[in-house]
Amino acid sequence: MDEQFDFKKKYRNILLILITGGILVSLAAILISKPGASRIWANVLLNNQYFMGLSLGAAFFLAVHRVSQSGWHTVLQRLPDAMTTFLPVAFVLMLLIYFGIHNLYRWTDNNLSDKVIEGKKAWLNIPFFFIRLVVYFTGWIVLTRMMRKNSGALMTSSDLKYHNRKILFAGLFLVFYGITVSASSWDWIMSLDAHWYSTLFGWYVLIGMFVTSLAFITLLIWLLKRLGYLKYVRADHVHDMAILIFAFSIFWTYQWFAQYELIWYGHLPEETSYYITRVHHFKVIFFINLGVNFIVPFFGLITFNSKRQIGWVAIIAAIVLIGHWIDYWLMIMPAAAGDKAGIGLLEICMTLVYGCLFIFIVLRSLSTGPLVVKNDPYLEESLNYES
Amino acid sequence: MRKRNNIIISFDDEVPLLQAVKILRESKEIITDVLSPFPVHGLDEALSIKRSRIPVVGFIFGALGAILAFGFQAWVFTVSYPLIIGGKPFFSVPTFIPITFEVTVLFAGLSMVAALLIRSRLKPDISFKPVDERITDDRFVILVDAADEKTTLNRVKSLLSGIHTLEIR
Amino acid sequence: MLQSPLRTPLIEGNRKTYRRITSDILNPMMNKAGKFWYMGMTIAGLAMLFGVFMIFWTVWQGIGTWGENRTVGWAFEITTFVWWIGIGHAGTFISAILLLFRQKWRNSINRSAEAMTIFAVICAALFPLIHLGRPLLTFFIFPYPNTRGLWVNFNSPLVWDVFAISTYFTISLVFWYVGLIPDIGTLRDKIKKGLKKNIYNFLSFGWKGSAKDWHRHEITSIMLAAIATPLVLSVHSIVSMDFASSIVPGWHTTIFPPYFVAGAIFSGFAMVQTLLIITRKAMGLEDFITKSHVENMNKILIATGSIVALAYMTEMFMAWYSGVEYEHYAFMNRATGPYWWAYMIMIGCNVVSSQLLWIKKLRKSLVFTFFLSIVINIGMWFERFVIIVTSLHRDYLTSSWTMYKPTIVEFGLLIGTLGIFFTAFLLFIRIFPVISISEVKSILKTGDKNQHNTELNHEKTE
Repeated sequence: MDEQFDFKKKYRNILLILITGGILVSLAAILISKPGASRIWANVLLNNQYFMGLSLGAAFFLAVHRVSQSGWHTVLQRLPDAMTTFLPVAFVLMLLIYFGIHNLYRWTDNNLSDKVIEGKKAWLNIPFFFIRLVVYFTGWIVLTRMMRKNSGALMTSSDLKYHNRKILFAGLFLVFYGITVSASSWDWIMSLDAHWYSTLFGWYVLIGMFVTSLAFITLLIWLLKRLGYLKYVRADHVHDMAILIFAFSIFWTYQWFAQYELIWYGHLPEETSYYITRVHHFKVIFFINLGVNFIVPFFGLITFNSKRQIGWVAIIAAIVLIGHWIDYWLMIMPAAAGDKAGIGLLEICMTLVYGCLFIFIVLRSLSTGPLVVKNDPYLEESLNYES
Repeated sequence: MRKRNNIIISFDDEVPLLQAVKILRESKEIITDVLSPFPVHGLDEALSIKRSRIPVVGFIFGALGAILAFGFQAWVFTVSYPLIIGGKPFFSVPTFIPITFEVTVLFAGLSMVAALLIRSRLKPDISFKPVDERITDDRFVILVDAADEKTTLNRVKSLLSGIHTLEIR
Repeated sequence: MLQSPLRTPLIEGNRKTYRRITSDILNPMMNKAGKFWYMGMTIAGLAMLFGVFMIFWTVWQGIGTWGENRTVGWAFEITTFVWWIGIGHAGTFISAILLLFRQKWRNSINRSAEAMTIFAVICAALFPLIHLGRPLLTFFIFPYPNTRGLWVNFNSPLVWDVFAISTYFTISLVFWYVGLIPDIGTLRDKIKKGLKKNIYNFLSFGWKGSAKDWHRHEITSIMLAAIATPLVLSVHSIVSMDFASSIVPGWHTTIFPPYFVAGAIFSGFAMVQTLLIITRKAMGLEDFITKSHVENMNKILIATGSIVALAYMTEMFMAWYSGVEYEHYAFMNRATGPYWWAYMIMIGCNVVSSQLLWIKKLRKSLVFTFFLSIVINIGMWFERFVIIVTSLHRDYLTSSWTMYKPTIVEFGLLIGTLGIFFTAFLLFIRIFPVISISEVKSILKTGDKNQHNTELNHEKTE
């Protein structure tokens, strides 16, 4: 129970080599294929959003479980905790958008004589955009840090006040997150299509974040088990993770459908422009998105036994991770890069770079403490959990 | 229903019930049935009850419902009486989805309940008499198949001598 | 299953035995009804009769007895319809979703919550039947082969409603009944002879408590829960699409499906609180429906209330952000137009009041919860009223702008459905066990592995 993850030099080096290699190949891809500044910055935005989403979704997972006093996840707590340590890095990376802001967002162009965008100037202007960015990240970083701090304090002392504080910060996080995930998705993604709007957008992104984080946590469990750790995480825990991935993939699909169907049905030009671009010019990717994020987890995790084998669930989780990357791609690329959008060496390498960076930071955070929380009042319950 | 000769062993709690079931199964006694006022955790494994295939029934009928509902709507709108409604195409997939989903759920749910009632032979029947009227209250009963009542009775009594039973008859 | 010592007991009372559980739950039901029950039945019955008369009046005289006009084609009745469907959703949430999330505390409240769902859906289903101009032709809404060669318009959300609500009613009824069968068996065995015993015997389907039957019963319950969960989401989403698939400003917005579902769970739980706070006192079931049950439900109220508040903020922001002048006006009209008072009631009763539940003392108070639950339901009724009437009475064409005033007939229908609902619930608590006896027995030992249920102990604790 006292096991600690040993972030061996071997793993560090592999990750660092992949990161360096990825950067080099990306640069080469840029020089050779000349994708244009918009597409490059769109990749930066896409990966920022995706990996920041993994951190936030992990915090959401913890917060919801703590507020509802669920015990089963206690044995897994350190994993999503570690994922939230990426947020400061995500903050810095998102600030970099400043340099590409004119390539990404049409509304930053002051010479546009566009009445619709003029009307939004109070919200969509560069200073306010960055003030909001700072506010979002500050709140997320501070609240997740407080959640981690109290979790850590509980491990050394057994004072229940830390446990209660964990729940308090979980509640505060949920309120702040609820508001800011909507607002940040409007700012960073929805405003790429400056004329378009959808009230569901924020919640759609929220669920996508949650499902991706669930998938990543599951993959982490698989990885750690392969390396010999987490022997006390049994089929019962895997079952519950699989149920969550199954259920929330269906919920994501429901939201996807709600947004699509209502816009399709209303047939209003100011709304349909979003889907026309995507369905007409990127038809294959559009339907692959739906297939991978719905069909695969639905049929892959529907039987009782399929949910209990970590190997199988990990495969589905990996597919879901790729699927939601495609979902973000569809949200961002057609709007930002237009004709130049595509999935090529540049996209793959940049995601690889970000991914390895994310894994590096998560594993490093994991290695700084025991893999299982101590003194948590729900720990015994979690270890003996039967589902 | 064939009348069987059964030894009736009663308990007032599920802990001795489970112990008794394990002992009886180890001694290869044939347990006809175990009756309880609520589903006892661990009893399914002790009796080696295989996981029911009712969910499979639900899945199959649900899929059938989906195909029927979607197909019917598609037929109505493309073959039987195509109408231009709101400028939408005849084969309008997004609008067929809600009803398809509802019919899927309806078929799946009703088929599973039907499967439950049929497999467990549950039907309205005024002449039904329970083995022991307190089973639905707080009694737990094991029915052991007894070809020869007297010897089985004595065997069972000796096997379960260490366990808190209420009566064995 | 091992439980953390931090958890409050699911069942209170001094070392209850299984026998005690049965008698605690069945006795209030089988004994003579108290005078409060008769009083409740009288009031509810009168309301119901008033409503029945109003239904008759509507069908006899026509829809002209209502206050709707050409501009405001939907008002009171569809508001009440959506309100009732919403209330019903809490029952399914408690039976299905809380079962899937393994929240054991739901075991003592799911029976009454599911019953509430069924009665709420019955009340809601009345409206599609009576709001048709020619009720004789109700069968038109069902797709059956006919000599006119016509089918229903499957493209219309109103037809989706027919399927959604029929399915929801059927599945809820079936889920409720399957859960009831073992308890009817208990009733059958408790009653020694007579007509009642025969009726319960008939209804119990020969349930004998066999292990194999329990196994299948459990699996069926979980599977029904698994399909009821997306069902409950879809039903209220389809109801919301009645509005969202139009192009009316204030209606056509993509957030409606999940927002309506969150609002439905919000008002539904409020109704469950209203019903159960009274029932637990009246039937002496405080040991089973404990204060922490009430508190847990309050937590769900604060969560869904906050989601609803978030949805209001999102809609308001997006109305401005969209740059569409009609959307701007729709929201300005809601807050400052002639129905501003309805809007204030909505915000006050839904947002302000539910946020008070962050305060622990209020969350634990039964009195506060009871009054809050009624306030929330009033607020949620007004929410639907605001959405429907303010968007309709002033939309694109200014020459069509008009006001809507409800008639006594419409008030009568609302009161009537309340009468039907409470009459049905009062009858239910006398006919079937309000708490699921077998499910509560199965959680008795949770957290206490050593509790032994012998007659000896039972006598000792008496």
